[in-house]
Amino acid sequence: MHRFASLVMASLLFALFAVLAVPAAHASGPGDSPLPAQVENQTCLACHSNRDLSVKLPSGETLSLYTDANAFNQSVHGKQGQRCTACHTNISGYPHPPIAAQDARDFSIQMYTLCRQCHNDLYQKTLDSMHAKGLAAGDRNAAICTDCHTAHYVTPPNEPRSKIPQTCRKCHSTIYDQYKGSVHGAALLDESNPDVPTCIDCHGVHNIGDPTTNAFRLKSPELCAKCHTDKALMRKYNISTDVLATYVADFHGTTVELFQKQSPDAPTNKPVCTDCHGIHDIKKVDDPTSRVIKENLLKTCQQCHPDATANFPASWMSHYIASPEKYPTVYYVNLFYTILIPLVLGGMMAFVLLDLARRLINRFQKNGRA
Amino acid sequence: MAEQKEYFRFTVPQRFEHWILVISFTGLVLTGIPQKFAGANWAEWLIGVLGGIESVRIIHHASAIVLVLASVYHVVAVAYKIFVLRVRWTMFPRLDDVLDALDAIRYNLGLTKEHPQLDRYNFGEKVEYWALVWGTVIMGLTGFIMWNPINAARFLPGDIIPAAKAAHGAEAILAALAIVIWHFYNVHLKTFSKAMFTGKMTQHQMEEEHALELARIEQAKVDVRPAPDIIKKRERIFIPVAAIGSVLALLALFFLITYENTAPLTTLPRRAQPVQIFAPITPTALPSAGVTPAPTGGVVAAKPLPADHAGRTTCLACHTSMAQPALPADHAGRTDATCTTCHKAGGAPAAQPTSAPATAAPGATAAPTSAPASTSTGPKPQPADHAGRTTCTACHANGVGPAEPADHTGRTDATCAACHKAP
Repeated sequence: MHRFASLVMASLLFALFAVLAVPAAHASGPGDSPLPAQVENQTCLACHSNRDLSVKLPSGETLSLYTDANAFNQSVHGKQGQRCTACHTNISGYPHPPIAAQDARDFSIQMYTLCRQCHNDLYQKTLDSMHAKGLAAGDRNAAICTDCHTAHYVTPPNEPRSKIPQTCRKCHSTIYDQYKGSVHGAALLDESNPDVPTCIDCHGVHNIGDPTTNAFRLKSPELCAKCHTDKALMRKYNISTDVLATYVADFHGTTVELFQKQSPDAPTNKPVCTDCHGIHDIKKVDDPTSRVIKENLLKTCQQCHPDATANFPASWMSHYIASPEKYPTVYYVNLFYTILIPLVLGGMMAFVLLDLARRLINRFQKNGRA
Repeated sequence: MAEQKEYFRFTVPQRFEHWILVISFTGLVLTGIPQKFAGANWAEWLIGVLGGIESVRIIHHASAIVLVLASVYHVVAVAYKIFVLRVRWTMFPRLDDVLDALDAIRYNLGLTKEHPQLDRYNFGEKVEYWALVWGTVIMGLTGFIMWNPINAARFLPGDIIPAAKAAHGAEAILAALAIVIWHFYNVHLKTFSKAMFTGKMTQHQMEEEHALELARIEQAKVDVRPAPDIIKKRERIFIPVAAIGSVLALLALFFLITYENTAPLTTLPRRAQPVQIFAPITPTALPSAGVTPAPTGGVVAAKPLPADHAGRTTCLACHTSMAQPALPADHAGRTDATCTTCHKAGGAPAAQPTSAPATAAPGATAAPTSAPASTSTGPKPQPADHAGRTTCTACHANGVGPAEPADHTGRTDATCAACHKAP
């Protein structure tokens, strides 16, 4: 009896392995597969649900070949009912093609382009990224698709939103530590605030560029302004939306703006938002540790103007528009000229027009007499 | 029009001074106004044409230096005339100028037939001259405050710097437009005056604009140059005073344009030290999701079949029920059919789950199912007319139908339909 059962099992399994070749051969169109995805995936999981299933790589590393079926089924691909061979197009039965990877990272780097089969647009975007450039330059630590998204357990990367910095943290933990203490990071991580920027709002997603270039620096005020000139958004937090206009009206901002327009790749030592406010560690302006709170502003100015003294920070109008309360000297100078200029020019104009009229009249009368 | 008599009006140094002023003033306006309106397209274009904002600022500063030097020269030259030559200070404003202006307005309004008789410098020219003096003083003061913001803030409240900037910009508008309205009309439009080109003025223009001066010239009531010894005597005082004054002014200028070297021409270079941004805290996740227990020996490479097991197919008969080495726990449920996929004959322990047969030890017999998977074509379906046939090898292994592939050798009729489905 036992013998018979074994034979039946053997035939069944054999048949299963054999038919696996069919869907694999037509993996590009899972629809025509005669086997339901679930059945096919079960076939793979017959071996790959084994936690110990692994292979020793030439480097000596052990590469686990285990896949957590539950986690996969919860993933976006699992929920769609994707079959294993939808990605693993090179697998069409057993034995599988050999693993050519020398070590585990090598394996990941060889495998991650599988994503491109469906997500080519995003893959192409990544080619412009710092990560892809790093990888191309030989930095194998540079992030690839699966480093951020995982291979088999892909879930929406921004649900919850705090998942975004958590993902970047895997490699950029020092930046994450700064961010989580910043006004933006704390609001996101402690209060799940949907308005504050995460990493990708400034750096982009798949085509993450080099943030240390002159071009990025010169463009950065626009990044901040995206939110900080949004009246509806800023009203919620009682933050002025004049920050960009007042910055651009000032010597520093004027220069940066002109550089950005005329020579976007040129270096400039004029400050952008982040030079005073910080980058990942931006604090509220009334936070005692803020670099731009009055008590700390001189030190911030001295980053570039080491000889600056106590009065100097007041030369920066702190994003205020001059009024009788804020910067009255500036306000009254403007007022003085608002009166003087039309008065003087108007007077001159009137005098000139009168003179012109008299000349025309005189000429007309002279001609009339002649 | 008949050839008019012309009257001498400006000496060569005076004309030279005027053209220096024209150049520096134009340079300041062309490089200053676009800075005030830097957001506007025309301003941006002009800044671009002039070589970018940094070179615009350099031109602006250079023009400012020229204007200050011209101003110092002018003060000395005027002082020489007043204190050494003791000529009338014809540019000095007097009450008569106000009356002249009122008379001119009345004349233009037609309230009087008499146009006022005007002196060497009429009220219009005095307005322009003193506006220029006022403007130069304001622009110089506010300009040097902006040129030296850090040192200005040592002695003055910090908000003097934005206030200076506001005044500088507003005064610039005033000055530029005053020139366009007042100077261009009076000197170029009303009558195109050649006085600053040739140094001479026509009789007609003299009558109209400087009747009093003309009368003085006609009556030879011109200033008499003092005797040379008197001039020498006065110069003995004037020259040292003027020299000291000039040198002090030049030193002040030099100080103001070079003293501050932290702003605005050069500041400290931006912080350039690299920041540690990459600090992996977890190794890159592999498909294992990190839950795989550390593999122990024996799971990586399947044990090869012992040599004496060659050809056996009923593995479980012994390895589950008899006192043979038991199956590992995770092999539970596996059947005889799958054992040899890993446990190869021939004693070579290299057969790994994902290894191709090529890596098996030489001489090892390939298991019946271990043909290299074809990724390009699937098994051919049965032709329609084969439906129900079960004796495949009768034809395909005997040279009747298309021959079976080499790797199908040894397969039996029982297995053909597993792959070669009925259509």
